[in-house]
Amino acid sequence: MRRRSGADDTSRSVRRSIVAGILLAGAALACVPLLRLPAFYESILYLVLHWVLLATSWNILSGYAGYFSFGHGAFFGTGVYTTAVLAGKFDWPFLWTLPVAAALAALLGVALGAVVFRVRSVRGELFALLTLAVTFVLATIVLNTPIDGGPGIYLSAVPVPHLAPTQPGTFYLLALAGAVAALLIAYGVQQSRLGVGLFAIHDDEDAAEVMGVPTYRYKLVALAISCALAGLAGGVHALFISYVTTGEVFSITVPLTVVLMSVLGGTRHWAGPAVGAAAITLLLYAFTKGDLALAGKATTGAVLIAAILFMPQGIVPRLLQRRAAAQRAVAAAAPVEPGTPDALPADAAAVAATAALPSAGPGAAAARSGVDLLLRTAALTKSFSGVQALAGVDVEIRRGEILGLIGPNGSGKSTFINVVSGHFGATSGRIEFEGRAIEQLAAHRIAHAGIARTYQIPRPFAHLSVRDNVAAAAMFGGAALSSSKARAEADHWLAFAGLTAKAQALPDELNLHQRKFLELARALASRPRLVLLDEVLCGLNPAEIDSAVALIRRIRDAGTTVVFVEHVMRAVMALSDRLVVLNHGQLLAEGPAAQVMQRPDVVAAYLGSVEPC
Amino acid sequence: MTLPSATLLAQSALSGLFVGSLYGLIGLGLGLSWGLLRTINLAHFGFTFAAAYLCYQLVTSTGVDPLLTLLAIVPLFFALGCGLHWVVQRFEVSPLNSLLLTFGVTAIIEAAIQAVWSADFRRLESHYAQAKFRWGALYVPLPELITLITSLALSLAIWWLLRHTRFGKAMRAAAEDAPIAAAFGVNQRALALLLAGSCAALAAVAGVCLSLSFTLAPAQIYAWIGVVFAAVMMGGLGSALGPLVAGVVIGVSEALTMAITAPSWAPIVSFTLLIALLLLRP
Amino acid sequence: MLKAGHLEVGYGAAPALWGVSIELHRGELLSVVGPNGAGKSTLINALAGLLRARSGTIELDGRDITRLAPHRFCAEGIAIVPEGRRLFATMSVLENLEIGCLLPRARARRGASLEYAIDLFPVLKDKLKAPAAALSGGQQQMVAIARALMACPRVLLLDEPSLGLSPLVVHDLFAAIRRISGEGMTILLVEQNVVTTMQIAQRVCVLEQGRIVAEGTPQALMSRPEIRRAYLGGELGPTPGAA
Repeated sequence: MRRRSGADDTSRSVRRSIVAGILLAGAALACVPLLRLPAFYESILYLVLHWVLLATSWNILSGYAGYFSFGHGAFFGTGVYTTAVLAGKFDWPFLWTLPVAAALAALLGVALGAVVFRVRSVRGELFALLTLAVTFVLATIVLNTPIDGGPGIYLSAVPVPHLAPTQPGTFYLLALAGAVAALLIAYGVQQSRLGVGLFAIHDDEDAAEVMGVPTYRYKLVALAISCALAGLAGGVHALFISYVTTGEVFSITVPLTVVLMSVLGGTRHWAGPAVGAAAITLLLYAFTKGDLALAGKATTGAVLIAAILFMPQGIVPRLLQRRAAAQRAVAAAAPVEPGTPDALPADAAAVAATAALPSAGPGAAAARSGVDLLLRTAALTKSFSGVQALAGVDVEIRRGEILGLIGPNGSGKSTFINVVSGHFGATSGRIEFEGRAIEQLAAHRIAHAGIARTYQIPRPFAHLSVRDNVAAAAMFGGAALSSSKARAEADHWLAFAGLTAKAQALPDELNLHQRKFLELARALASRPRLVLLDEVLCGLNPAEIDSAVALIRRIRDAGTTVVFVEHVMRAVMALSDRLVVLNHGQLLAEGPAAQVMQRPDVVAAYLGSVEPC
Repeated sequence: MTLPSATLLAQSALSGLFVGSLYGLIGLGLGLSWGLLRTINLAHFGFTFAAAYLCYQLVTSTGVDPLLTLLAIVPLFFALGCGLHWVVQRFEVSPLNSLLLTFGVTAIIEAAIQAVWSADFRRLESHYAQAKFRWGALYVPLPELITLITSLALSLAIWWLLRHTRFGKAMRAAAEDAPIAAAFGVNQRALALLLAGSCAALAAVAGVCLSLSFTLAPAQIYAWIGVVFAAVMMGGLGSALGPLVAGVVIGVSEALTMAITAPSWAPIVSFTLLIALLLLRP
Repeated sequence: MLKAGHLEVGYGAAPALWGVSIELHRGELLSVVGPNGAGKSTLINALAGLLRARSGTIELDGRDITRLAPHRFCAEGIAIVPEGRRLFATMSVLENLEIGCLLPRARARRGASLEYAIDLFPVLKDKLKAPAAALSGGQQQMVAIARALMACPRVLLLDEPSLGLSPLVVHDLFAAIRRISGEGMTILLVEQNVVTTMQIAQRVCVLEQGRIVAEGTPQALMSRPEIRRAYLGGELGPTPGAA
């Protein structure tokens, strides 16, 4: 069962109370040093907060966006050694080293991310491995250069600032400050636009990018925040342990433990890692006395096993599950089955509502420039390792038309859509959209320019509700609405697509037909001037096809130009103003539908024999 | 930085070859499990070390030949591997969660090892340790040679099995699309248990080889994780020969780096290689 | 030959088939049509053992196979050509075909089956060593059908073979299916392409929202106006040539 993420229905007052709650808890916990507990307990409390800080910071990139990093140790270690070198070797005042530690760690992270995030293939396990490798490389460099050189760095001579009655108390307060900051930041990110973008990246990065999420930038920001916090934790920890060696600092313990803690607590929730961190640290250290250390380690292992087996989503989501399940039960029991013709929006109200929409396009701009052409490609070519999927295609798309793009299997139709939408970059040639060259643009900029698409096999964001899927498109696409306006927009398009009753459901609760219409709603929610439909009708029966055809006409009438790829000839003939026929990656024919379909070369290439079989 | 003699370099490369073949041997089961069973099995390292310690114990207590201990150890770990995978199947654990689950298992194994054998270093004393051959100007220690031959033989055997037998093809099909493989008669659950048991058995073999050449300590379990993962990923998940080749590449580059510069620089070569591979591979 | 009685199959909480009873006679080509979401794929997957029925029975030649484990259906003689092909993309075409004949009975007839498959789809002859992913959609569909035939089945289940393929390819594919049927194979065909299906099926079942609503010969069904309208669409009749 999937947990819905983040920014659903969170009102202002709820947000304020959570922030206040965190701050209040922080203030209350800040009084603990006044209790003058034995150093042992203060140290344990420090460690709990230390791990809360580390795990929460890790989660901001890795949990939210799904880029599981095993390199948190590198950034933590950078912070440790920054403080160790500055305070231990250059006698800087300890507190001044902390911002530098955070900054350097963030810098390292951004430098790494700038390179790694450009490489599309490095995701998932590969990203985890790469970050692990970076840790080892960094450790080796630190060990063999004057930064450490081998013997480690002693910080026993560094004066500890007197923030609390005791030394452990001081560290406790510093860690507390860090943990509170991390929690506030994690919560803030989850509620923000950045958070929605990161969750979308988690579910389907390519679809998110094509929809308009600036994935590269968002990942870098999340990484920078994550690393800065880790560096801060490292800086404080350096003085806490007071003797720093590469073996200890860059060991596999830090990266593994933060993953453990976050997964245990729940990676999709801002408080998950904190819960996991507290649970595991307390468990481990409850056993520190005497010979029970081993039992502690074994118990931690057992707890982890039990958690994975019985609570795979994590503790926090499991606790919140009941509420989420209740909401979804309402949605799943919705009586409407969009599989039947009745459910499709054939009613007058929907038609009227659509007709009343302000025109989606910059009609004014077009009138000014006097250009009828919305999109034009010139000698567009796309090759995949030697195979030319598009071999110099010149196509014109006129504003306000419905253009059918047809051709035999493998003729390049889907590739054309992929290249125009920016899913793939063109090998050569030009694409001009409203007079502007877009072939070099990143996919999310193409989305902002006003182009949207659907996928032949629907790619919804699996952990976002149906409504949030559409709202995300409204937020990040050409319309670029704020999150509250985006929700209202989403509701409108869900009504248009007949999915209102399923608004709170998760995509995997929809059948294929509903998912295709979710794709459609999502594409339209960004108010595109051009929408590219990739075999939207595939899998529908004739009556459903008729309804879909009517729907597509309404989309055009509301001001969006439509290009659709189809095999269902009936629909193609009924809908298209013009047809473009591709064959073997080249333009074979182009013109009014009836004319094109009469041409013998088109008939031969595409339709084959006219005899019944 | 004076370049050492050719003999020293060759000897280093040779020892790199040997340790690399051990990386490959450990990585073999890990990679198969990851590629074909979608399980990232950190417990593989726990199994390897547990087997190493068991071998040590059997030899120290009974004086039997270390290689004979395989007769008892391999079936034991085959069963353990089956058991672990049965749990993974039963609870439908995802690949990422399997990483964490097996980490938990490893923590328990490590604690158990430390409880029984303490954290002190243990070294297996056997007649193998002293035996050496001469090959030209180079020394070839017997334990390392055994490891190399075992690694090579097992890798080739598994490669052949996967490529040319019905079992191998069924396994590959099931790894790619289990329901459709089932529709053609592949009993994926049974095959998976068999494979998981075999991977654990491979870990046990690796453990015995490890005990022949290396000093054992519980904390050492984690020292191998990074390098072996690197070998597996470089070699390709689910590949039989890949981990061995990658392991040797890593081992040799490490050893040469150690010989030319200083031992502490060793990791940088293999990991930089890995990073470069990940970034530049098409 | 293959009989399903009062089958109830569902996904999670939602049932998709309600008491569906269907009978497939030896040597006939039965087609199941219906709107999307009607349960056609659910039905065929249940008959192939890919989905477990909640209640009801499946009998093959009088033998109750309902409770068998998924991997045993093939041995009983049922082979499926799944929706979307679902070839093993990392394996070669030949290896895909070999997966079809893993079981002993089929393995013994491997050579003959392979010859028949190539005879049926000559274009595959030069593609045996190629990775399955490198083939076009139509060719992949041929491999999927051939793979099922390699299992020497008694019943062949086809789930939307024309999905996503251009009319020319579909034409050739259905010619092959017609040939297989003509040579005596018992076939259950689930299809969206109603027009072509009506042309080759001997009997048709109409499934709607998890229930059989009509059954009979194609001619009999075509003459019922509401069926025709619901499944062949408004004023638009079948388009000439685009089979």
